[in-house]
Amino acid sequence: MPRVTPTSLRKELFANPLDGLVSVLLITGLAAVGYRLLHWALTQAQWAVIQANSTLFAVGRYPIEQQWRLWLLVALLVAATGLSWGVLRGLPLRDRPITALWPRNDRIGAIVLVALGSWAPAALGLTLSIQVRWWGLTGLLLLMRWLAGRYGSRLGKAATRALPLVWPLLYLVGMVLIGGGLGLVPVGTNEWGGLLLTLVEASFAILLSAPLGVLLALGRRSSLPLLRWGSVLYIEFIRGAPLITLLFLGQNILGFLLPGGLAPDRIWRAAWILTFFSAAYLAEAVRSGLAAVPRGQLEAARSLGLSLPQALAQVVLPQALRIALPATVGQFISLLQDTTLLSLIGLLDLLGTARSVMANPLFLGKSAEVYLTLAVLFWCCCAALGLGSRALERRLNPPSLGR
Amino acid sequence: MTAESMPANAMVPKSPAMIEARGVEKWYPNGFHALRGVDLTVQRGEVVVIMGPSGSGKSTFIRTFNALEEFQKGSITVDGIALNDDRRKIDAIRREVGMVFQQFNLFPHLSVLDNLTLAPVLVRRRPKGEVLSQAMALLERVGIAEQAHKFPGQLSGGQQQRVAIARSLCMEPRILLFDEPTSSLDPEMVREVLEVMQGLAADGMTMVVVTHEVGFARQVADRVVLMADGQVVEEATPERFFDHPQHERSRQFLAQIL
Ligand SMILES: Nc1ncnc2c1ncn2[C@@H]1O[C@H](COP(=O)(O)OP(=O)(O)OP(=O)(O)O)[C@@H](O)[C@H]1O
Ligand SMILES: [Mg+2]
Repeated sequence: MPRVTPTSLRKELFANPLDGLVSVLLITGLAAVGYRLLHWALTQAQWAVIQANSTLFAVGRYPIEQQWRLWLLVALLVAATGLSWGVLRGLPLRDRPITALWPRNDRIGAIVLVALGSWAPAALGLTLSIQVRWWGLTGLLLLMRWLAGRYGSRLGKAATRALPLVWPLLYLVGMVLIGGGLGLVPVGTNEWGGLLLTLVEASFAILLSAPLGVLLALGRRSSLPLLRWGSVLYIEFIRGAPLITLLFLGQNILGFLLPGGLAPDRIWRAAWILTFFSAAYLAEAVRSGLAAVPRGQLEAARSLGLSLPQALAQVVLPQALRIALPATVGQFISLLQDTTLLSLIGLLDLLGTARSVMANPLFLGKSAEVYLTLAVLFWCCCAALGLGSRALERRLNPPSLGR
Repeated sequence: MTAESMPANAMVPKSPAMIEARGVEKWYPNGFHALRGVDLTVQRGEVVVIMGPSGSGKSTFIRTFNALEEFQKGSITVDGIALNDDRRKIDAIRREVGMVFQQFNLFPHLSVLDNLTLAPVLVRRRPKGEVLSQAMALLERVGIAEQAHKFPGQLSGGQQQRVAIARSLCMEPRILLFDEPTSSLDPEMVREVLEVMQGLAADGMTMVVVTHEVGFARQVADRVVLMADGQVVEEATPERFFDHPQHERSRQFLAQIL
């Protein structure tokens, strides 16, 4: 892997006079903007609006006496992240070294996280007990990452393959913890809000739209005309309509379309609409992956006696999904950002909560602080998704000559 | 396939021939008449080489034997099983018929060993351990045991094609079809593949080989079939075919490749 050295930097940025000029201008511009932003954030901005409302931003009006359930869920999520991270980094890299400047490797990611985890809670002026919890969570992440890296190789292939299943499983556990049931006090969806609601909606849609998108992509390439035309119609209808119209439409008609138990209220209706919306785009990503797998692969599998489902599951889809992975994660990232539209249909997701806070006369004129915080939060989530997918991608490429 | 073109019963006496194709006609969906009444009989243990100019329908024809292409008229019987639309029969035939492609078509996301064991474990439901040792023995036989844990992309063309042959053999087929197995190989790799095929023939494997390797046809084939324009033009022993071709079309073709 090429290292960033002063020489390599000079070669990349100042190869010839024109490059050098552009680089100098860009660096000056960036430095100026960065300095002003930092200056503003550290001296002028009044972060009291964030400090006073941090719980609201995080979980909305979720009852305080039940919040331990969310802390437990966060701990589980952090543990699963550390586990996946540790196992993933233990797998061999299978592509050529890439020359991108950033991120150099996952150690930098870990260092940034530790810095954030130990500094941010203090900087935000959270109470000591909460600060301690965040430090504990950071420690847990590092511990799981280290354990998985240390002992992950002993897990064996089957366990490594089963690892992704931790996430859907965790979703179910999370739903019980958040919503109650199984002996826990129920907490109605009208009390979920903030980042909690945003993540519940986005993860529901991500988990369900993935299989749905694969089915639609297969349907679109099927030899059965009815299936093919049905899939095409669905995909093109969804892709032709703006999400916000679908969200409004869904609030009205989803009650009739889905069995009542599946979409009992506005929050679940919105989650289904996000799912259906995302599935159509995923189908196109998967379709391009399917198209990139040579025809001979299916023929070879079939001539060995594999049935069509076996051939798809063992031969075609593993290759197609690997090719479609970057586009798929790109879709997940825009899905996460699209959840902000939920505020327009009156849900108190992260943006909805922020708008309600800014409407409070106490915090008038503090929108820059609020929006910047939101942007940073979203950016962190999307960066994590993007980095994870890149790490995965680089380990899924089959090795070939000259690599 | 039309219903009336097939004998409707399954009680056809088990034919002694491995492949029995009668009056096979095929139209591609665009209307192109690719096969115009082709007959061919392949006996057990026989090696038949099919030659012919590009576009004459050789690939189309042998791909009908394992139902990779469907046909509209005529009949094909493989190892006593009549090929018709019955799914289960097609599956049964595909288990008995191995196919080796010009482009190898190895599964790039699986190691060499996994390429070999996938189908026997999944389709024949054989225990993995047993299949593994068989796969290693087969790789030994085609001379690439030391590559067992590599991935197809890390092998040369000749090695990949030998893996592809081993992969077919791992299903213990009764017949092997080859569609121009050496056409996309560099000249120095052609021989290593032909030698493997020669060894198979010597062991009594029934093979149908589309190839333009005259040396292989002369040495190994029991019969050579020349196809042109979707029809069989000439069918003869290699000596007769190469030294005394009977038809004008054969002479033209041989003049081009010799
Ligand atoms: N999917 C298809 N649709 C329409 N026509 C096709 C299709 N596949 C093949 N053909 C045509 O059918 C004819 C026979 O094709 P085939 O591939 O069997 O020839 P071949 O003898 O194997 O030739 P080659 O030596 O080039 O491999 C050719 O004229 C080809 O253009
Ligand atoms: Mg051909």
